[in-house]
Amino acid sequence: MTTLDRHTTAEAEKSGAARGQDRRLRRELGVANLFSHGFLLLWAALTALPLLWMFLSSFKSDGEILSDPWGLPGALRFENWSRAWTEAHIGRYFLNSGIVVAGSLTLTMLLGATAAYVFARYEFRGRQVAYYLFVGGMMFPVFLALVPLFFVVRNAGLFGTWTGLILVYAAYSLPFTVFFLTAFFRTLPTSIAEAALIDGCGHFGLFFRVMLPMARPGLISVAIFNFLSHWNQFILPQVLMQGDDSKWVLAQGLTALAVSQGYQGDFSGLFAGLTIATLPVLAVYVAFQRQIQTGLTAGQLK
Amino acid sequence: MRHGKYPLIIVFLVPPLLLYGVFVLSPYLQAFQISTTNWLGYSAHADSVGMANFRTLLHDGQVWNAIKNNAIMLAVVPVLTIVLGLFFATMLNMGGRKGRAGVTGVRGTSVYRMVYFFPQVLSVVIIALLWKEVYHPNNGLLNGALRALGLPAPTWLGDPRTAFWCVLAVMVWSNVGFYVVLFGAAMSAVPRDIYEAVMLDGASRWTTLRRITVPLLWDTVQVAWIYLAIAALDGFILVQQMTNGGPNFSSDVIGLRMYETAFGSESKFGYASAIGVVMLFLTLSVAVLALRTARRDRIEYS
Amino acid sequence: MNRREILRRTAAAGLLATPAAGLLAGCATSGGDDDKGDSGAYKGTKSEQNPLGVKEDAPLEVVIFNGGFGEQYAKAHEAMYKEKYPKAEIKHSATQEINKTLQPRFVDGTPPDVVNNSGAGQIDFNGLVSQNAIADLGDLLAAPSLDIPGKSVKDTLLPGAVEVGSYDGKFLVLNYTYTAYGIWYSTKTFTERNWQYAKTWDEHIALCKQIKAAGVAPWTYAGKHPRYMSWPLIATAIKFGGPSVAVAIDNLEPNAWKSDAMKAAADAWYQIVKDKYILDGSPGLDHIQSQTAWCQGKAAFISCGSWLESEQAKVTPAGFNMAIAPTPSLGSGDKLPFEAIRGTAGEPFMVPAKAKNVAGGLEYFRTMLSKKGAQDFTKKVSSLTVVAGATDGIELPFGLTTVVKALEASGSNGFNWVYNNYYRKLERELVDAACGEFFSGRSTPAEFLDQCQKGADTIAQDSSIKKYKRAA
Repeated sequence: MTTLDRHTTAEAEKSGAARGQDRRLRRELGVANLFSHGFLLLWAALTALPLLWMFLSSFKSDGEILSDPWGLPGALRFENWSRAWTEAHIGRYFLNSGIVVAGSLTLTMLLGATAAYVFARYEFRGRQVAYYLFVGGMMFPVFLALVPLFFVVRNAGLFGTWTGLILVYAAYSLPFTVFFLTAFFRTLPTSIAEAALIDGCGHFGLFFRVMLPMARPGLISVAIFNFLSHWNQFILPQVLMQGDDSKWVLAQGLTALAVSQGYQGDFSGLFAGLTIATLPVLAVYVAFQRQIQTGLTAGQLK
Repeated sequence: MRHGKYPLIIVFLVPPLLLYGVFVLSPYLQAFQISTTNWLGYSAHADSVGMANFRTLLHDGQVWNAIKNNAIMLAVVPVLTIVLGLFFATMLNMGGRKGRAGVTGVRGTSVYRMVYFFPQVLSVVIIALLWKEVYHPNNGLLNGALRALGLPAPTWLGDPRTAFWCVLAVMVWSNVGFYVVLFGAAMSAVPRDIYEAVMLDGASRWTTLRRITVPLLWDTVQVAWIYLAIAALDGFILVQQMTNGGPNFSSDVIGLRMYETAFGSESKFGYASAIGVVMLFLTLSVAVLALRTARRDRIEYS
Repeated sequence: MNRREILRRTAAAGLLATPAAGLLAGCATSGGDDDKGDSGAYKGTKSEQNPLGVKEDAPLEVVIFNGGFGEQYAKAHEAMYKEKYPKAEIKHSATQEINKTLQPRFVDGTPPDVVNNSGAGQIDFNGLVSQNAIADLGDLLAAPSLDIPGKSVKDTLLPGAVEVGSYDGKFLVLNYTYTAYGIWYSTKTFTERNWQYAKTWDEHIALCKQIKAAGVAPWTYAGKHPRYMSWPLIATAIKFGGPSVAVAIDNLEPNAWKSDAMKAAADAWYQIVKDKYILDGSPGLDHIQSQTAWCQGKAAFISCGSWLESEQAKVTPAGFNMAIAPTPSLGSGDKLPFEAIRGTAGEPFMVPAKAKNVAGGLEYFRTMLSKKGAQDFTKKVSSLTVVAGATDGIELPFGLTTVVKALEASGSNGFNWVYNNYYRKLERELVDAACGEFFSGRSTPAEFLDQCQKGADTIAQDSSIKKYKRAA
């Protein structure tokens, strides 16, 4: 399939290039459109497929899933959903995840925005070092730090608590958030800031009353990416939220489902659970699609 | 503008630095420490072995094989993803039929943009599960299509010649959507009349893309390249779920090697940390290199 | 005592400790000092009634691997323990990720009392044993059985159960289930098609030919975990050359993989590759996919352990009646009869050396190994235990009855190997990769054995891996 894709891209580009000097713009667009439109559709099908597959599989029986992965469900088996919701406690984990993510997202945004603002707008000694220290955090594999992290969290008395998870999530999201928002704050016009300062606005006032509102689009888009990553976070809660499974977050519950699927063959329950877990994320994306767009755009405006 | 900035810098920077230092930096530093020991992970004891782990690493064929695969990913994934992302973004932003009359996206742009983003909200587990079925040698969608066309049906993930490329394709597939949105956002910030003027001059779409769009989007493309390079150096979960590095280590990546060394088939945490440290430096140098180039460009610009 | 110990002592006393051990001991691994020893351990007085010295009110923490067997069976065992020690508080938890969940607690020196160390997230036993992290279960073996009068626990176990869990002669790991490894086929299909399971290799090849002519693939296997195919191949070699073939492999003896018996077995098995008796596309299937294809009748044979029946329960057609059979004999020169099959104890349980309630952990094992405990397990999860005769009077599913029969027929000719326990990486990664090349036709028998041998050699030469020897 990929070779097919590449072939078509090449073709589309070639057809564009070959006619580069051709002044008959309209015809050129027509031919290219045929290719590119087909390709657009193909890619759309390719990306929509898994979601559809997951959704349909959540209604199938295990036998149907294994013996005919691409067939339609023989009946709408809502019991898969209710089994995932009740037996696998997806409902409770859902709520727990909501609590943790609400906390961690707020903290990440607050600390990320303030740090990024300082990096973007103020000159001081050690700025470069501090900045690279943050950004370097994007590149280290988390699971090598697990054991030391376990002890740090436990010694802080935060083991097995949501507060601990919130702090750790926020800490591990800072690199990306700071990286993204620093670039964003740099693009905001300096003239407004200077005017505000001259008008007697203090440094703090400037940030909260002028810069933060201006940065709203960027904040929203980075918040959404953080939401996605916090919501799907798996390794950290696995280690830091052991034992008491009433405090588990969604990813832990899903993994329990996914792993037991490997041993007990409850594929349908897994798909139902995954669908339940994916829906809110999808809803968030669809609802904020516009903001993500403008958020990413605003960074480019000068 | 100078007076009173230090209170703000301190208030804004100290809490994030503190959080980051405690929960991220200190565990990582300890991981560095662990990389110079022969720690086996399940007792409190470890003997310092100096640089011995790094010396072993130099002669570890499995590690080099994995690094080689990551290097290929580093070379291929960003290029392919960016090209596809730019192509789709162009289509969605100015692939419309109007020709001379103006520059618009194709019909259904917002729907496409939403659908393309789907892989981003799906968990990696489901992506891997899905593609395993797509690549299924007998019941898979891919071979089903090939057989219908009378073409030979390879074993894909079961063949060392194709397995790695199959995983790589999924990696590109799951990333493209994000960059379509990112590039699309950047493009819509470029004033429309530029394009209209160029198109009126008779430039082909290919020329427009190469001469106008890419230079104007260069900053964004570079950011994309950094993200993708980091992603390409990872790829661990996808590989583990789809091929577990096989057949015969043909799709092994450094993250999986590290995982297997620490948690999988062995418990050599000291050695695994050493691999992690090497990986960190590889990623870091790639990123710093890219950031440096980006900064130089910006200075030239202004 | 050993070199490690001496090195450590020197390090602690000398300069090495300051830079190296400083951070590690100071932050990551504080609190887990060996020297604390037994200070916080619970100990009761040993007596005839209480041979293991259990402190009756000491709490017991049990961590169960939540896999194919679930966790209900463990709750039943815990209830039995509690019945005997009503004052003991039992903390039960179940997880799939044993290693990530428990690693920090091992380092911390506060591990649970009973750990069911199993599944893909299992902690590598080589690492645990070499770090002295597991308690010796010797006392358990000597203790009298709970409800089989006149017998010690050891006497009640099936042959080989102790050997599998022993490292350097110390019994450290209780493998609770008993698993047979063989070749599976559907008795229904075979009766309908009038096929006869073949006892010799030549007949097997002839049967494969017949099966293929009937439009069915003779074999399939999990191409993503090709080590499944190493099992019948090694079994063939052991039946041909005797149990010493396995001992040599387990002990990492030079050229153990290239013994005449292994050569004969690899040459024989190459026939099914050469003659294309394997379902097309098998190299691209994982274990569930290949087993499902087999259940759908797309292939006649598959190699697996006795967990196959329960793993496939949801997709097996009614009346499929799967049965296990030993690998065919190479010929009349075989040292072991056709009936000989690989039977081994599996599903490992351990008591961490630093557990607070070691005696309680051992007593918990004694409960599991009582006839009552074992029968309850077999009833709940349809699997055999290492307790001899514990299946008497229990109705078993079809496949499992064939397993019981096969094990009985095999009797004292049964064999096993343990290199996969000693050196997890050797089977899971190295032999696995070699099997993948061999059974997909990309390497010859000689190249296959060569690749296995190279894998074994790298393990043998790796000084950071502790080595074990077993006697014949």
